[in-house]
Amino acid sequence: MMTTTLSPEQSSGVNEKLIQTASRRSLLKSLTEPLSLLGALVVLIVIFSILNPRFASLENLQNLLNQASLPLIIGIGATFVILIGSIDLSVEGVMAATGVTFVLMSANSRGGADLGIWAWLVPLALGVVLGLASGLLYTKARIPSFLVTLGMWFVGLGIATVLYGTDAYPELSNDALTVWAATITAGLPNVFWVALILMIIAALALRYTRFGRATLAIGNNEDIARSSGMPVTKHKIVIFIIAGALSGLAGILAVMQMGGTSNNIGDGYLFITIPAVVIGGTALSGGKGGMLRTLLGIMLLMVLKNGLILAGVSPNFEDMVSGAILVVAIIAVAWSQRGRLRIEK
Amino acid sequence: MNKSTTAAVPALRLTGISKTFGSVEALKNVSCEIAKGEVIGLIGENGAGKSTLLKILTGIYQPDQGTIEINGAKTKFRGPRDSVLAGIGVVHQEQSLFTNLTVAENISMNSATGRRFGTTFGIYRWGKLYKSAAETLEIIGSNLGPRTRVGDLSFVDRQMVEIARAIRVDTVKGASPIVILDEPTALLERGETEILEREIRKLKDLGSVIFVSHRLDEIMRNCDRILVMRNGELVADRPTSQVTEAELFKLMVGHESRATNHQRGKVNPDVVPVLEVNNLRRKGKYSDISFAAHAGRVTAIVGTSGSGREELSRAIFGAEKFDGGTIALNGKKVSGWRTPKAVRNGVAYVPAERKVEGMVGTFSAAENIVLTHPGSAAFGPIIMPWKRNQVARKWFAELDVRPNDIDQDLERFSGGNQQKVVMARWLNDPKLQLLVLDHPLRGLDPGAAETVNEHIKGACTNGAAVILLADTLEEALEMGDDIVVMRDGNITARFDVSVDDPSTLDLLERMV
Repeated sequence: MMTTTLSPEQSSGVNEKLIQTASRRSLLKSLTEPLSLLGALVVLIVIFSILNPRFASLENLQNLLNQASLPLIIGIGATFVILIGSIDLSVEGVMAATGVTFVLMSANSRGGADLGIWAWLVPLALGVVLGLASGLLYTKARIPSFLVTLGMWFVGLGIATVLYGTDAYPELSNDALTVWAATITAGLPNVFWVALILMIIAALALRYTRFGRATLAIGNNEDIARSSGMPVTKHKIVIFIIAGALSGLAGILAVMQMGGTSNNIGDGYLFITIPAVVIGGTALSGGKGGMLRTLLGIMLLMVLKNGLILAGVSPNFEDMVSGAILVVAIIAVAWSQRGRLRIEK
Repeated sequence: MNKSTTAAVPALRLTGISKTFGSVEALKNVSCEIAKGEVIGLIGENGAGKSTLLKILTGIYQPDQGTIEINGAKTKFRGPRDSVLAGIGVVHQEQSLFTNLTVAENISMNSATGRRFGTTFGIYRWGKLYKSAAETLEIIGSNLGPRTRVGDLSFVDRQMVEIARAIRVDTVKGASPIVILDEPTALLERGETEILEREIRKLKDLGSVIFVSHRLDEIMRNCDRILVMRNGELVADRPTSQVTEAELFKLMVGHESRATNHQRGKVNPDVVPVLEVNNLRRKGKYSDISFAAHAGRVTAIVGTSGSGREELSRAIFGAEKFDGGTIALNGKKVSGWRTPKAVRNGVAYVPAERKVEGMVGTFSAAENIVLTHPGSAAFGPIIMPWKRNQVARKWFAELDVRPNDIDQDLERFSGGNQQKVVMARWLNDPKLQLLVLDHPLRGLDPGAAETVNEHIKGACTNGAAVILLADTLEEALEMGDDIVVMRDGNITARFDVSVDDPSTLDLLERMV
């Protein structure tokens, strides 16, 4: 043990005060940022409820949560990936590949293998493999994650196309799976429960585990992380595996929701998730953000999408309107960070 | 010295360390010893091999030859982790903290030391983590809050966190820590340097210190013994009491310090000043700023970090806006003042954040030199590579840039040589009339600093006015013809150095 005792620094009171205000300011900021998102969410819900009373009906809200489930699951992976300063664009391809694998491994209209309740294992493994491939190419071949995962997107689509062959799209013939996906337990859709539990685990992992803290550290400064002896490369690969597995899970659940699959089962999920993560306030440069923010960001976008339809916006305009709103929302979130020199990464 | 260091086993012993990169011998047969409780000064020009030596000590490089002994036991560092476990902690020149995490996390983030302080099977126990961090901070006499986010701390406070992290190794091994301070004062303001120096004296009781700095006065003040490196060799190992600053300069650079006899002229009242600033203000930064900068003279602006002088200098270059008041160039008021316009009017700006704002690191040195003012290298909008190389070679010779390779990416040069290239970029403007320098000597070794200073004076002689934000008051007094003192956004005093001959104390009194 240390026995040296040193007289405490005759500290300058000014310094201490500065530190206190600084920490109070950051605490306040970390609380108010998600709070303002929550506020925006509440305001949107109120507006849409007034525009169309059906919006606030239990049925619609449950429907909304059901639709939000897959973006939430994908959003967990996307948040991890973006926190280390990378990006994963392969989501929709991985979903297509795992979706068709899942159908073919279950009882389906085309016959073939039926692994019963273990059918999910194969597509999930495929998700892991695709994530691992992205991670390895990204870290070992040093290709930007943007390009690697863009490629992996189409590799996934290619796998799906090959597996579909020339026949009609296969459908699940076991109704139990579709029924489970549509079941409401304790007021919430089953699939949403899955998303919520995963979200909570991820949030706790980010706050309370060495893995989570190392993710933030690597996102803040990779070189420092490396010279502190952290296994940076391994960590990044693991994160891509997690993202791949979660995309795979999303593919499986999408099939269960739809009762069948097609090549474009993942369409639109990337466009919701990545902006939602950013709107939540997770920085694309890495190191800053969290799961709660992603949760709020996704709910915000899903409410917007659902509300616009119920408010009577023609589906022809829906994409345009939500695109425009997305850009405005991102500007609103990023406005405070547009300083001249972003020294703090 | 009060400790019986001679008989004891040295905390660190290096024997015959050599390291070669390609054809370059970065280290040649370096041997030295460091005792427990000793503060060693390590000096040398950029490229003398200091960084290589430090990287070997921290396990980033492995030596080609030679041995490292810690407390008498031979050791091999296969990676940074081994070095941390052996008790070597580094306070980096460019700070190496995670700004998005708390003080406590940063202190325990070295994977070698984290385990025992608040993580069990990878799960954090924040209470314990904070408590152990507070204990470590107490040892170095700092009262920082372990929960504070590092990004919210001032520079000197961040350094305390680095020191705390560096000595954390001690509590793990029971061995005495060896703390390497790699140019810790390069970015500190005056008052902050004193805090750090007090810290160094405390570190002596805990273990040994290797203090790397370009400021010879600091080395003389803080170190028991001084090691001088030149061209990869250890050229001197002297007790501080047996050496002078002038001798150290000569050992490092290889020639005597050239006397800096700055010819100070009188201001000609009939000539319109190059720059006239009138009642310039920016809310929350500075207000009511009026001063003039004359051709052939250096106007040094001094003040602490909150004085508003950085913002003011950026406003003069058009890089930041101001709320009111006027800037006049050669008697003509400017409007719509933005950097492109400033550059067209012969205003130059050397920023303090060299790597971020001052250069394009992935361009070659030659490309950087002709980036703003291509001069004779351009034929209309077209840059002619052979002419560009001519221009670049001329500046390389003039400023003694090393290595003499104009095609190498600028980011691969050392800090001092990068700064020379940044200077050349602006000096290449034939119409240069106002040179705004924000900490031009930051992180430069004495040799490079001498060259840069000579060219600042050269620009003056050629008729340019210079605005200088110096690192130290001594530098401001040495270089400045006029001195403007700022405090909390206001000018508190003006001195004409040749008439008033102010002392550092005169300046300091009006700064704080």
